[in-house]
Amino acid sequence: MATPNRTHALPATVGDLLRLRTIGWREALEAREASILAVLVVMGIALGIAYPQFGTLDNVDNILLAVAQVAIVGVGMTMVIITGGIDVSVGSALSVCAVVVAMRIQDGAGIPEALVVGIAVGAGIGLVNGLLIGLGRVHSIIITFGMLNLLRVVSFKLTGGKWLTGLPDTLNYFGSGTLLKLPFAWWIAMAMAAVATYYLRRRPTGRHLYALGGNAETARLAGVAVLKRTIFVYTITGALVGVASLVFVGQAGQVVQTNVGYGFELDVIAAVVIGGTSILGGKGTVIGTLLGALLVGTIRNAFVIVDINPLWADFILGALILLTTALDLLRRRGRET
Amino acid sequence: MTDVVARRPRVELPWAPALRLLLVERTALLVILLGGLVAFYASTVADFFTFNNLAGSTAFAVEVGILALAELVVIVTGRGAIDLSVGSAVSLASVFFGELLTKYDLSLGPAVVLTLLFGLFLGSVNGFFVAVARLPALIVTLATLFAFRSLALVITKAVPISDLPPRLYDLALYWHGIPRQTLLVYLPVIALVYVLLRFTVYGRHLYGLGTNALAARFAAAPVVFARFGAFAISGLLCAVVAIVTSARFASARPDAGTGLELQAITIAVLGGVAITGGVGAVPPVVIATILITLVNNGMNLAGIDPIWQQAAIGGILIGSALLNSFALRRYRLS
Amino acid sequence: MLLSLRGIDKHFFGVHALRGVDFDVREGEVHALVGENGAGKSTLIKFVAGAEQPDVGEITVGGEPVTIHTTQDAFRLGIATVYQEPQIFPDLSVVENVFLGRELRDRFGNVERGEQRRRVRELLASLHLDPRLADRRMGALSLAEQQLVLICKALAQEARLIIYDEPSAILTQRETDTLFGVIRRLQERGVATIYISHRLDEIFEIADRVTIMKDGQVVATKPRSELTVAQVVELMAGRKLHTGIEREAHEDEEVVLSVGGLSRQGDFDDVSFDVHRGEIVGFFGLIGSGATDIALALFGIEPADAGTIELDGRRVSIGKPGDAVEHGLALLPKDRKTQGLFLPLSIADNVAAGNYPLLSRLRTFILRTQERSVARRLMQSLAVKAPSATTKVGNLSGGNQQKVLLARQLVGRPKVVILDEPTRGVDVQAKEEIHRLIFELADGGAAVVVISSELPEAMRLADRLIVVRSGRIHSEYRRGEAESAAVLAAAIGGDGAASGVGGDGDA
Repeated sequence: MATPNRTHALPATVGDLLRLRTIGWREALEAREASILAVLVVMGIALGIAYPQFGTLDNVDNILLAVAQVAIVGVGMTMVIITGGIDVSVGSALSVCAVVVAMRIQDGAGIPEALVVGIAVGAGIGLVNGLLIGLGRVHSIIITFGMLNLLRVVSFKLTGGKWLTGLPDTLNYFGSGTLLKLPFAWWIAMAMAAVATYYLRRRPTGRHLYALGGNAETARLAGVAVLKRTIFVYTITGALVGVASLVFVGQAGQVVQTNVGYGFELDVIAAVVIGGTSILGGKGTVIGTLLGALLVGTIRNAFVIVDINPLWADFILGALILLTTALDLLRRRGRET
Repeated sequence: MTDVVARRPRVELPWAPALRLLLVERTALLVILLGGLVAFYASTVADFFTFNNLAGSTAFAVEVGILALAELVVIVTGRGAIDLSVGSAVSLASVFFGELLTKYDLSLGPAVVLTLLFGLFLGSVNGFFVAVARLPALIVTLATLFAFRSLALVITKAVPISDLPPRLYDLALYWHGIPRQTLLVYLPVIALVYVLLRFTVYGRHLYGLGTNALAARFAAAPVVFARFGAFAISGLLCAVVAIVTSARFASARPDAGTGLELQAITIAVLGGVAITGGVGAVPPVVIATILITLVNNGMNLAGIDPIWQQAAIGGILIGSALLNSFALRRYRLS
Repeated sequence: MLLSLRGIDKHFFGVHALRGVDFDVREGEVHALVGENGAGKSTLIKFVAGAEQPDVGEITVGGEPVTIHTTQDAFRLGIATVYQEPQIFPDLSVVENVFLGRELRDRFGNVERGEQRRRVRELLASLHLDPRLADRRMGALSLAEQQLVLICKALAQEARLIIYDEPSAILTQRETDTLFGVIRRLQERGVATIYISHRLDEIFEIADRVTIMKDGQVVATKPRSELTVAQVVELMAGRKLHTGIEREAHEDEEVVLSVGGLSRQGDFDDVSFDVHRGEIVGFFGLIGSGATDIALALFGIEPADAGTIELDGRRVSIGKPGDAVEHGLALLPKDRKTQGLFLPLSIADNVAAGNYPLLSRLRTFILRTQERSVARRLMQSLAVKAPSATTKVGNLSGGNQQKVLLARQLVGRPKVVILDEPTRGVDVQAKEEIHRLIFELADGGAAVVVISSELPEAMRLADRLIVVRSGRIHSEYRRGEAESAAVLAAAIGGDGAASGVGGDGDA
């Protein structure tokens, strides 16, 4: 190459991060993120007026706390789905990480060790997923479906089927601490989202994830390291599950139940898909996932406040997933003649 | 592009033909595994190799086996088709059945018919979104998995419906040591699905779709209808299972189908069904059902913690998926 | 000399595809490669693009002998190919499509988006294209624009040679003009071009040198100034064809198929023709002529927007393949591997497919034995060489595969049989056999339509030959009425610019 690949230029501005500069106002408005934001605002206002207790800071904090774990893992799941895959084992993985972390702090471990252990275990699980999917050439649904069950057994065996009670309050800050009036856990989610957004938008390998999901063969021919990227996204998701497990243990406080994480993957996938990431891959943003997580949390919270059976929430989420996927695909097909 | 026929000759190792047979003919492999398993359990686990035990274990096989056949029908149509919602559909159909019998006081006959229709309806929901709207089956059945499950829980407030007509339980009784439902339900279903896939035009369409959907279209196959139908049939079979479980549990439970989708899909994959479509047959799936059932049964008898059965299923799923992938790539043509 | 190929020879399963070909490209020249279908142009180009390797021969780039095993190798040598179907990432922006895999990075290793954007805009502008394309989503661009972007990509990779494989087949006149502008700008930058096309008017507008190929050999390589359109056509078609086929005309027989004013937006317009019983009507057209689209419309795969179809005098409506089959129409699709055959399945399965109503009881049940016996019968009458009816079709040679597919069409004794490129990728002997089968088919009373882009074949088979060009019927000739050169000229449109409706129907 005659021309150098490195140039000197100013670092990206915040405006870039918000997508407005590179794609223009009109496309930004069309984007899913705007729709969700609008829905959230409308819902928030409507609920806030009808049920005053909805709009209190306390309640907002509740919502944010409840979805912090979903959002954290959602960051990783977004990347997985962008590459065209899926990971339904995150709930069981969360269970395993939570158990390990809880057992460590029971033995007197401090925050740094809990963090390292949690992330390591999570990343290890993710690595196994990534290797099986990348090398075995088996579809991710099958592999992660199988892992879902294997991991359940692991978490069960680790605790001997008993609940872990009497946990020290080491991780309380993760669970319920606040920073500037917002839950610390949500700040973690936002921090992870910021890093991921930077990676996905500014790093070459991050852009390669989109290419991989968009057209795997062309990506390969263009020099994308398919295997490495595949292993990476699942490993990162696993690591983020590890981070989320600290929040979980911090929240759960005194008791860790071994049936943690059931249905967790639904919320995470719902957050990602509703947030604008296409299940077919090649498209999606982490910010959308955060908003999606907020929407999921708001819906669940609304059900509680309005006193509807919370079990309906799953139904609504299922329907929402179908609706948003259908909308997304219709839009795509409408564009291509 | 060069013709497919011009290939580099492979150096054939002495055991290659046998290996090929095992990898390609799934039935052969499964029979060998089954034989090995039975021999192993017979010698290590007491009371395993008795007629009562073996026959009795089929009670469970009926439910999971029928769902595995449902997965076979769906997955064979290709283009990523899979039905993750079978477990939840069973739960919801159970609840529907229970409500009909208790709240609406219907007698057994009409209730059964209506429930089967309801199963068809549930399957049609999936069928509509996948075949007509052309959404990915993965996400559609994932969404319906959650929707059906929650509906079942909401309607019953998570409480099983008892007080079902006692005549229903007759279905789960034993006839000379063999559970009735095996004879009255499972065997007929196996026969029907076998005939459907092997001897009917519709069955040909399903395989054609999974092998080459475009060619199927050029051959005037009813593409949308065939795909839609596969999911509808799956829903119907879920309703059948719902009725059987209600008989066996003596109640209509909103969690009747929990975890069944994993077992069903595992059995299908173990039974040689290719996730990519176009490959799969009834005999190996049935043998795989027996295999999995006996694995669980033996573990139960040996007093092993039931949690390990879950691990076994998960491991078998991953293992057989890897095996399938390897075998297909090695021996299949384009 | 930028690129040079010497003594190239290639066999494809029994077909001597290329013999003793010499071909070279000078720096910065526009070198056109013309020839009929099957002449060998695409095969030759595949060697340069890294998609295939020659059996014999040498390739040198810039004087150095090279081996090009993969497309990556070709890239590294500065050779880029623009295909009709652009390989793109539809959800990424144009800029990203250009730079994917070779992103510009700043000193932190981040993607240098601003600089990439600037360069793409610059590239676009230097080719006199709209720089605003850079920010658009790749999938939102038209096919032509996508091609142009891929050219920019080639440029960004410092390509020295760009190959265009029949690009104008899917471009409108205006888009073609834009493309030519780009090619000229590239020339100014010293980038050479190989332009494969049968549109002689375009060739004569843009090329410096022209190489004419026929039957796997180079007939001539001359500067454009030393050639006329007529000469090129003559060289492409070769000597007068002795078809040696004597067949009766069938025009006084009853009309089986009558098509009137058939049109489909963007693909073909106002197509009208009749086919009589026992007659073979040939459709001759080069890539992009639209003949396949017409066939797909008749068979219901992609129905027409307007026009009428009459069978045995009655108006019929064909909205899906099932309708066509019901009315006695059969279609042998163009691409047997993706559109026709179920390669992992047996001959019996493949023959039976689509014929279930005939082979089944109560329209529901079907027996393998029945399928097999029907297949065996047809295998015999069509001389399919295979161990048995259970042989997997994927294991057969091209010719036998085609026969199996043909067998499928014949089971139902259709009234009208449409054959799209029936001998594509088939060895010489099987070709003969298939031609014989087609004659027998017509003699047996079927109305046959053969679509072929191979002139000798079309002229040999057709009782009446219809020339299709850019989605319209151009002219019609009875058997023996015209010389091949004239027919070819009609198909090419060497008399002027083609009016652009044409699509190609490649599914």
